[in-house]
Amino acid sequence: METIDIGLWVTGGLLVLVIVGMRVAFAAALAGLVGLVWIFWSKKGYASEDLGWALTVAIKTAGQVPHSKVSTHTLSLIPTFILIGYLAYYAGLTRALFEAAKRWVAWVPGGLAVSTVFATAGFAAVSGASVATSAVFARIAIPEMLKIGYNKQFAAGVVAAGGTLASLIPPSAILVIYAIIVEQDVGRLLLAGFIPGAFSALVYGLLIVGIAVIFKNVGPPVGGFTWGQRFAALPGALPIVAVILIIIGFVYNPFGEQAWGTPTEGGAIGAFIVFCFALWRGMRWGQLKSALLETAKLTAMIFSIIWGVLIYVRFLGFADLPGAFSDWITSLTLSPMLILVCILLAYAVLGMFMDAIGMLLLTLPVVYPAVMALNGGETVAAADSAFGMSGPMCAIWFGILVVKMAEFCLITPPIGLNCFVVAGVRPDLSVQDVFRGVMPFFVADGITIALLVAFPAIVLYLPSLAG
Amino acid sequence: AATEWNASVWGKRRAFTEHVEKLAELVAEKTGGEFTINVSYGGLSKPRENLDGISIGAFEMAQFCAGYHRDKNRAITVLELPFLGVSNLDEEVAVSHAVYDHPAVMEEMAQWNARIIMTSPMPQYNIVGTGEPRDELADFDGMRVRATGGLGQAFEAVGGVPTSVPATEAFNAMESGVVDTVAFAQHAHLSFGTINKADWWTANLNPGTVNCPVVVNIDAYEALPAEHREALDSSIDEAIDHYLANYGELLKKWDGVLEEKGVQKVMIDDAVIEEFRAKAADPIREAWIADMSAQGIPAQDLYDLVMETLKTAKAGN
Amino acid sequence: MAGHASVLEDLSILSRLDRALLRLERAFALLSGLAVFSLMLMAVVSVSGRNAINAPLPGYVDWIEQAMPLIAFLGISFVQREGGHIRMDIFISRLRGRALWLFELVSVLLILVLMMALVWGSWAHFLRSFDFGAPLWSRDSSIDIGIPLWPAKLLAPVAFSVLCLRLALQVWGFGRALVLGLETPVAVPLIQDAAKQAMAEAEQLDGQG
Ligand code: NA
Ligand code: NA
Repeated sequence: METIDIGLWVTGGLLVLVIVGMRVAFAAALAGLVGLVWIFWSKKGYASEDLGWALTVAIKTAGQVPHSKVSTHTLSLIPTFILIGYLAYYAGLTRALFEAAKRWVAWVPGGLAVSTVFATAGFAAVSGASVATSAVFARIAIPEMLKIGYNKQFAAGVVAAGGTLASLIPPSAILVIYAIIVEQDVGRLLLAGFIPGAFSALVYGLLIVGIAVIFKNVGPPVGGFTWGQRFAALPGALPIVAVILIIIGFVYNPFGEQAWGTPTEGGAIGAFIVFCFALWRGMRWGQLKSALLETAKLTAMIFSIIWGVLIYVRFLGFADLPGAFSDWITSLTLSPMLILVCILLAYAVLGMFMDAIGMLLLTLPVVYPAVMALNGGETVAAADSAFGMSGPMCAIWFGILVVKMAEFCLITPPIGLNCFVVAGVRPDLSVQDVFRGVMPFFVADGITIALLVAFPAIVLYLPSLAG
Repeated sequence: AATEWNASVWGKRRAFTEHVEKLAELVAEKTGGEFTINVSYGGLSKPRENLDGISIGAFEMAQFCAGYHRDKNRAITVLELPFLGVSNLDEEVAVSHAVYDHPAVMEEMAQWNARIIMTSPMPQYNIVGTGEPRDELADFDGMRVRATGGLGQAFEAVGGVPTSVPATEAFNAMESGVVDTVAFAQHAHLSFGTINKADWWTANLNPGTVNCPVVVNIDAYEALPAEHREALDSSIDEAIDHYLANYGELLKKWDGVLEEKGVQKVMIDDAVIEEFRAKAADPIREAWIADMSAQGIPAQDLYDLVMETLKTAKAGN
Repeated sequence: MAGHASVLEDLSILSRLDRALLRLERAFALLSGLAVFSLMLMAVVSVSGRNAINAPLPGYVDWIEQAMPLIAFLGISFVQREGGHIRMDIFISRLRGRALWLFELVSVLLILVLMMALVWGSWAHFLRSFDFGAPLWSRDSSIDIGIPLWPAKLLAPVAFSVLCLRLALQVWGFGRALVLGLETPVAVPLIQDAAKQAMAEAEQLDGQG
């Protein structure tokens, strides 16, 4: 049997395992291990005396992956980004940010929901993990919305969708993972996420105002804050603004030619500053311990998926599926733009059944080379390319599109991690409630993605300034 | 019967991998497509674990660099000692292959079930930097330099601060000021983009280089049918020749690259280089010999072999 | 979600073993959290050293790479105990009684087989980097300052072995539920309905915000 056939059979098996409810990390690792055994055994012509050899080689090959793949300097961003989110919550910074947003923008229709979106966008500039962002805002924003008579499903949807902003607005763990997989400059990608992230927040905000105008009972405006009260709320939000400015200043030093450090270090410094604020605001060992344990849990969960899926990806490497897929895509006679749209649609479907990081690890080794080839290769000049941008710019643009798709999959049923987390935090909400409430935001995300595809400049403006 | 091998390398296809590609091409040609070698760029293993993969038997051929893991390949680190005096790629091939044939090297590689078939010769790792050229030894004091293995030790000996960043992050590290200078061979300055950030490049510092052999799995090699083994063995010299010719082309274009990118070519005074060599070469070599000898490796022997081979090679030219 | 299930307890041997192992798992998870914390401190030391006195932490990248397995692996069993590893429960949440226990049992058994294989594979990975005869027992070292890699590589089989113990307990728990046809077995993560699940979450968070 051709190695590519083995690749397809094993992929089918993996889907079955996931659908019958096996934990995704282990299902992927198991599929990868079985696939490796199959590949090695097929090399020996399935001779029965060689099965033992194939098993040993496959197990030792798979056994390398966990240590080998997680001992990466750049991946250290993920735990520090998660830690920042929890520390900021325990330091009370998140609540202060929400309060300020409420006093300043809640007078528009759908006021508190709009405030929530802007507050999550602000928080996203210190938090690198969408799930942690949703978890934190479910505790802070939902009760306030319910108090003034919001539809509870809608309130939950706002928080679940708002949380996804943390993955586009830097810092972002998912963007870093993309950069690692495709070997692109992390700093430039993070920079590229800024405008699309703010843009997404704006589209969410407009959508909420629209809904609130049409359905009066969804989210009434909240007035009555005096200018004095508004300014009084600002000092509380200052620490988080300071942290954002410090991280940005750190990585893109405005005072001199050279920055003070790498994005990886910037994340760690940000966490340290938030930690200092938390200490200053009276955080005790008990709270720090909770923050550390929650960080450890989320980190172990994410890294299990990372190495599990990477065992599967290692198998795909031996089956040479990436090469075959890339050849197939470039041999299609459709227009490159149509193929790209199909790829994004495939992500939307796949995203329903996968979590974001697992999906990227799984697909990018196959899809990324194909997209780059479609544009005309890694080193193509803008003038000769299919999408009108140079190879490196295409890598950035596609990265932002894929990360936006990955965010989308955080809120789509049946596996939408953000929705699970929101329902998990709130006693009065079922997962189904959250999924129902988040549906309007599918429309917003669809509009955003269409605009990012049609006007790549939204993505590429900042990175092109950076040269 | 058909033989299908996998070769694990990393990065993208570049001057550094041309001999592996050529070898695959020649072998397929000579056996009428019966013996194929699939070259995989990173799909089969991480570069630092290519020796592990060979030892397991996951793939049959791989490339790795000695400095990535000194403890895995102590004996060949002799080739990464600073200021050996190797001045071109032909000499680099000669000394590398002489060392690879030494019984101590063969034995250490056999522990990984590996047998070295050829080297990936690289020119001297000269440094690029930003700002004013550093052409005095005093300028190296406190300089944060991205350099691994023996090279890092050499710069440390004159007050430099070796700062570890992965090659793929070298550009970022330069841009963010994490390092002041980066030491690479020319092709790597190009493929990792450090040349785009540089204001100057040292043309003649020549502090040393990195040694990256290509190995095969011993079991797989010995299981080859006679005609396939013959095809492989007989293609190695040709593959290296192709590599050298290709790299030669790259070096010819190098001055043009410097000009295009506006990078100043810095010639360092012989006196300065001599001073650097005195401070770095002798103490590091002596420490290396003492350390390796204590671990039962015939270090003096290996070093003498390098020197002798180099003398012969230079005389031959 | 798949992330938040409850584990019931009683005085049986199984439940006592469950809680004994939980103490170890908690300690491991806290260690992992502290490693993240140390990562942060290391960056602060490195950055301030570099910018203030031109003395970066030597081998900063090497040390981070050593810390990553601590962070990535040590919490794995704790998460499995709580049923926290992500899965798609759209199918399995519709099952009740013995049918549910059967699927859970098969799933946990498969994971156990997988993890035993990976204990072997990661142990072999460790052994290749370990040599009693060499200085610091090292046969594989980091790129910059040459730290031996075997301690970090050892963490994978250690953490995976603890996970295997946890999985063995869960095989026992689900197997018992299947054979006896139990409604609410102990020592295994149960899928909660949303209300109950959220209540547990809320209690856990009380007084922390
Ligand atoms: Na963010
Ligand atoms: Na989803």
